[in-house]
Amino acid sequence: MILLDYHNVVIEETLTQPIVNVIPTALDMIVVDFDSVSYHISTSESTSVIKFSISMQCYKELVQWGAQDMLQREYGPYCVSNTEEGYDFTLEFNLQNLPEDKEQREGLVKKLALIKRNLLAQPFERAFEQQAKFEEEKQTNPVSDLMQIHYRDQEAIYIQAQLDRVTVIFSTLFKEETDRLFGKVFLQEFVDARRRPNLQNAPQVLYSSKEPPLEIRHLPELKNANKNEDIGYVTFGDVREKTISQIQLFRDYLHYHIKCSKAYMHSRMRARVQAFLKVLNRAKPELPNVEKKTITLVILYI
Amino acid sequence: MRLPPVIMDNGTGYTKLGFAGNSEPSFVFPTVIATRDSANTGASGTSAPSKTSHLSGNIASKRGIEDLDFYIGNEALSNSKTYGLHYPIRHGQIDNWDQMERFWEQSIFKYLRCEPEDHYFLLTEPPLNAPENREQTAEIMFESFNIQGLYIAVQAVLALAASWTSKKVADKVLTGTVIDSGDGVTHVIPVAEGYVIGSSIKHIPIAGRDITYYVQQLLRDRGETSIPPEDSLKVAESIKERYSYVCQDIVKEFKKSDQEADNFFQKYQGIHSPYEVDVGFERFLGPEIFFNPEIASSDFLTPLPNVVDNVIQSCPIDVRRGLYKNIVLSGGSTMFKGFDKRLHRDMKRAVDARVKRSEELSGGTMKAKEIDVKVISHKKQRYAVWYGGSLLGSTPVFNSYCHTKAEYEEHGPSICRHNRVFGSMG
Repeated sequence: MILLDYHNVVIEETLTQPIVNVIPTALDMIVVDFDSVSYHISTSESTSVIKFSISMQCYKELVQWGAQDMLQREYGPYCVSNTEEGYDFTLEFNLQNLPEDKEQREGLVKKLALIKRNLLAQPFERAFEQQAKFEEEKQTNPVSDLMQIHYRDQEAIYIQAQLDRVTVIFSTLFKEETDRLFGKVFLQEFVDARRRPNLQNAPQVLYSSKEPPLEIRHLPELKNANKNEDIGYVTFGDVREKTISQIQLFRDYLHYHIKCSKAYMHSRMRARVQAFLKVLNRAKPELPNVEKKTITLVILYI
Repeated sequence: MRLPPVIMDNGTGYTKLGFAGNSEPSFVFPTVIATRDSANTGASGTSAPSKTSHLSGNIASKRGIEDLDFYIGNEALSNSKTYGLHYPIRHGQIDNWDQMERFWEQSIFKYLRCEPEDHYFLLTEPPLNAPENREQTAEIMFESFNIQGLYIAVQAVLALAASWTSKKVADKVLTGTVIDSGDGVTHVIPVAEGYVIGSSIKHIPIAGRDITYYVQQLLRDRGETSIPPEDSLKVAESIKERYSYVCQDIVKEFKKSDQEADNFFQKYQGIHSPYEVDVGFERFLGPEIFFNPEIASSDFLTPLPNVVDNVIQSCPIDVRRGLYKNIVLSGGSTMFKGFDKRLHRDMKRAVDARVKRSEELSGGTMKAKEIDVKVISHKKQRYAVWYGGSLLGSTPVFNSYCHTKAEYEEHGPSICRHNRVFGSMG
């Protein structure tokens, strides 16, 4: 099916050999993930030391929301201070100092493949914590900071904790007219689908195109963005912890599905063209059966 | 930071996927797609999406999501019991565009995990591909995936570019003869200055699969009864991959291996059950069918060196020296140890004999300059085409060779009928 994994398969496969099986391998590899994230896995000095660098557009913003703490917590022993040039931070693995237990090593590889998810999850976790606090303290009118993550050029996620919910707003940009139309239909469907009885438990989704939602309307940069017609806003409310991973992939899913729908439309179009061609071929006037005569040479043997 | 271009090499058998700048593809899996609607697809080429749906009670009931229910690559093979398997590429050319579009969709999003709008793409095509196919490809790539730029490269040219990694190659030229041997068929393709000389291409019906069959037959003839019949092909294949090599002289090799039997004969251990197979003369007899095809087949009898020689002789006279000087190997079935040496020796012999004869015919009045024959073998041979793409894709000028989205929108898919040859611009 067309489900996307949370983790990066290439990273997992590449690192399994050196880290899980502890077989030194020469590596020099660039891996890319959604949202302009790129990794560089390399062994420069010796094959037993693996460098793992990541570059992320919104890394500086994520640091504000506690990404560094997460890195220390999860990947602490492997963090190094001399970051590779062109990347945001670097982890280093010495194959001699890996955990003894094979399962732990497998866990480590899995954790590395999830590194982008973990980084991006920081602001979400923070928002949940805040929301829990609000609820506990029964604040009537809590004020929390609106967290902005510019995860792509001209596109951003806004997260805000409120009394009874966490609001996540995606702004997304469609480069092409067709995509925008498909996107619009898709997103309106989200809003409509929730009205069905069996989907009552789904988080509330609002969609607005062109007009930014109230929560973020005060931001100065959006005043200009308003003019841009191609921007749509999707607002999710009431997000649960376990859905963080899924919500991160929201944009990718949306774009993926738009592309799938286009592929589907194309296949319908091809089928239709072929049907038309059949009709046309049938409509060809039948040639009257005229007897054709060619000159034949008859040699008589006498 | 510039994101690396995506390199996709969709072959008949296997698809190689990865990013430019890497030395190996990130994914290698069979070019196969498993879909639900096995009854609709087939010879007709297009599948009419069925409107009925067995899924009820959710949103899918309205229009059906069969078009999303498919697997590709190894996942497709493991689901082959409940899904119908389709091979969208036949003889190197895309046969079913619906399936190919979906195949690409999943390769990009699920496997490579990249947003196609952020990347340039390099795709490959077989020599003599129809320009219409390029247009179709461009339509899908630009209209469905909104990619930034597209370059469609000929596989043989990429294989030439991959040989630049070898130390033997002094100057990086795109002139040479490519011998591409995979599992199904072997091609000999002459390329001059980045252009394929289409009229001289030759196909040889001997490739990896034939060697495997021959090894299997040799084992059977010798009476290796310990091999379970269901493993027979697998055993032959791994013997071929692990122990085979090309000898320089078949008679001497027989003698030598009898003398040094202890060193020469190997034991092959069974995969699942405990059994042992002696590995003997098939070590060098297997790949020998390239050089003496009569030992295995009765309908194709021209040895590979002769075919290559004929191909070069049929090319325009002014490129022949360049073609002899740069014979490049590509594909898994050219990986045998000693393959390059043997090919070089046999070709050199044929060429020298011809030069000598023409000198004799001239009555000693003319002296020809010696023809330099060079066979180039390198480490990246197995995925040479992909690697060549990766090399070209990582050069700073790559983007300027691509057709961009803006150009596509200005002129339409016809711009992709022609792709600029690398090195043609300053």
